[in-house]
Amino acid sequence: MSTVAEIARGEEKVKMSREIFPPSEVGGWKWDGKEMRYNSKTLFSYIDGAAELYLAYGFQNLAVRRFEKSNQPPILLELYEMASSEDAYGVFSFEHQDEAVGIGQGSEFGGGLLRFWKGKYFVSIYAEGEGAETESGILKVGRAAANSIPAVGPEPKLVGFIPGKDLGLVDKSLRYLKSHVLLNQRFFIAHQNILNLSRKTEAVLAQYLQGEQKTQLLLIRYPDSKEAADAYRSFMKVYLPDVRGMDRARTEDRKWTFARQRNEFILIVFGAPTEADAEVLLKATEEKLPGGR
Amino acid sequence: MKEKTITRRDFLRVTAGTAMAATLGSGILGEARAEPTAKVALIRNAGVLGPQDKVQEEILKSMLDEAVKSLLGTDKAMEAWKKLFKSSDIVGIKSNEWQKLPTPKELEAAIKRRLLDVGVAEKNIDIDDRGVLNNPIFLNATALVNVRPLRTHHWAGVGTCLKNYIQFVPNRPDYHEEGCSPLGKIWTYPIVKGKTRLNILSALTPQFYGRGANFFDKRYVWPYKGLIVGTDPVAVDAIGAHLLQVKRTGFFGEERALDVPPIHIMVADKKYHLGVSDLSRIQLIKLGWMEEVLI
Repeated sequence: MSTVAEIARGEEKVKMSREIFPPSEVGGWKWDGKEMRYNSKTLFSYIDGAAELYLAYGFQNLAVRRFEKSNQPPILLELYEMASSEDAYGVFSFEHQDEAVGIGQGSEFGGGLLRFWKGKYFVSIYAEGEGAETESGILKVGRAAANSIPAVGPEPKLVGFIPGKDLGLVDKSLRYLKSHVLLNQRFFIAHQNILNLSRKTEAVLAQYLQGEQKTQLLLIRYPDSKEAADAYRSFMKVYLPDVRGMDRARTEDRKWTFARQRNEFILIVFGAPTEADAEVLLKATEEKLPGGR
Repeated sequence: MKEKTITRRDFLRVTAGTAMAATLGSGILGEARAEPTAKVALIRNAGVLGPQDKVQEEILKSMLDEAVKSLLGTDKAMEAWKKLFKSSDIVGIKSNEWQKLPTPKELEAAIKRRLLDVGVAEKNIDIDDRGVLNNPIFLNATALVNVRPLRTHHWAGVGTCLKNYIQFVPNRPDYHEEGCSPLGKIWTYPIVKGKTRLNILSALTPQFYGRGANFFDKRYVWPYKGLIVGTDPVAVDAIGAHLLQVKRTGFFGEERALDVPPIHIMVADKKYHLGVSDLSRIQLIKLGWMEEVLI
């Protein structure tokens, strides 16, 4: 009788790079020999309610393996192949909130869930139960899975344009985003896509602590300056219709929103306590952009 | 006519100076207001969960009765149930079967028992979740009861009553866009429009924190031992979301926003006019056990 893994290997529709073979046994945790495979059409059947997250980041396919150990809850390994390492980074960044554990190119472990990215793979590992031995097992399976991914890949270059902790960047607050749906999930701006975000654009959302107030910086790169200009006009018309040629407004929460276009980039600060705070953040970002100021 | 774009600034206007995410955390109605208001009952009982969180059926039934009675302002529970349902009704009980935290069977049974007591024929009652679009009772329903557990949700922020009707549409991913804001639209479709007589959030063991779509960890579930009941789904959801936010703040020792702002609750109010999302316009009737009630 064929196992699911054998059947999956024979399928043409769901391909995964065959250089990735997560371990079959780690620290006493044994793979049960089955592998569930999902493509972009079947992903909803596995994670109804969240497949859009992965699809927005160029999801290619998913392999799920289950590891078992006597008297322990099973551990589930989810190996997502994305279109690029930037996309894998994006999935990771979208929900990043826990402490790193040194697995892959970026990792976090908290609440019994290990998440990491390496190359074009995003990996999620968790157990169907809790306990110290289970958590140790999750980390062991994670390290072995990371080792089975041979190639590393670059982070998005756009992330490098974001000012750092000297300006109050909040730890683990960077989100690399590829759609307005995802942006809205992290920071609601408008229910329609007024910034014209798409797979051709990329955005970084970062949170800063200015005094005791949280300010958001949104940096978007468009394919060219014309598309950036179109998006800027769209944003200003809907979000800041009352500024009369200015690039800023004090919004209803008595905080400041600034928006600027610089070539193919749009920079927006939301919720700055003062005009000066917004200006500092924008200026620091502009200086990091190609060509600086 | 071109549809108006709802922006963050619209919410800032509504909340008059507080962050949007805090909308659901503002003060609950303390006294009568001129604007339209909603009424929600929160009932708790310390004895409703036994060993291993086994639901005590009789206590749960009495909680449900007490909540419905208070909500409808009647002297007796059955008077309230008879205000909500007619014996001629065809009633679908829209439940939730997410395997890690499903609607308690005892709660489904308690609702069905009261529908039978009202005189609804057993053949005209069914309980379903993912099969509602193929279920003749739901397709021909004259009344619906919406019941599900209260929990955080990976994509919508909170899994509450508005979200529970996602199974009434075949193209569910379409409703995950725009921060799940179109969820309220489902309630305008003929299959459900105007039919929901009662919305119940099971807050017996709510899940206040989660990571990812399939994640479940008992550390983030607590025995709140409550039910949140109302005829207004938006108000019920707003109270549920508020409870989760307060619990998260207490548990983590800091304000930890929901993974996703529950925008769909406010949009259901402001755009689809399904009910009241502003806590300052919701009258919360608190009944029963008050220890660590949180809200």
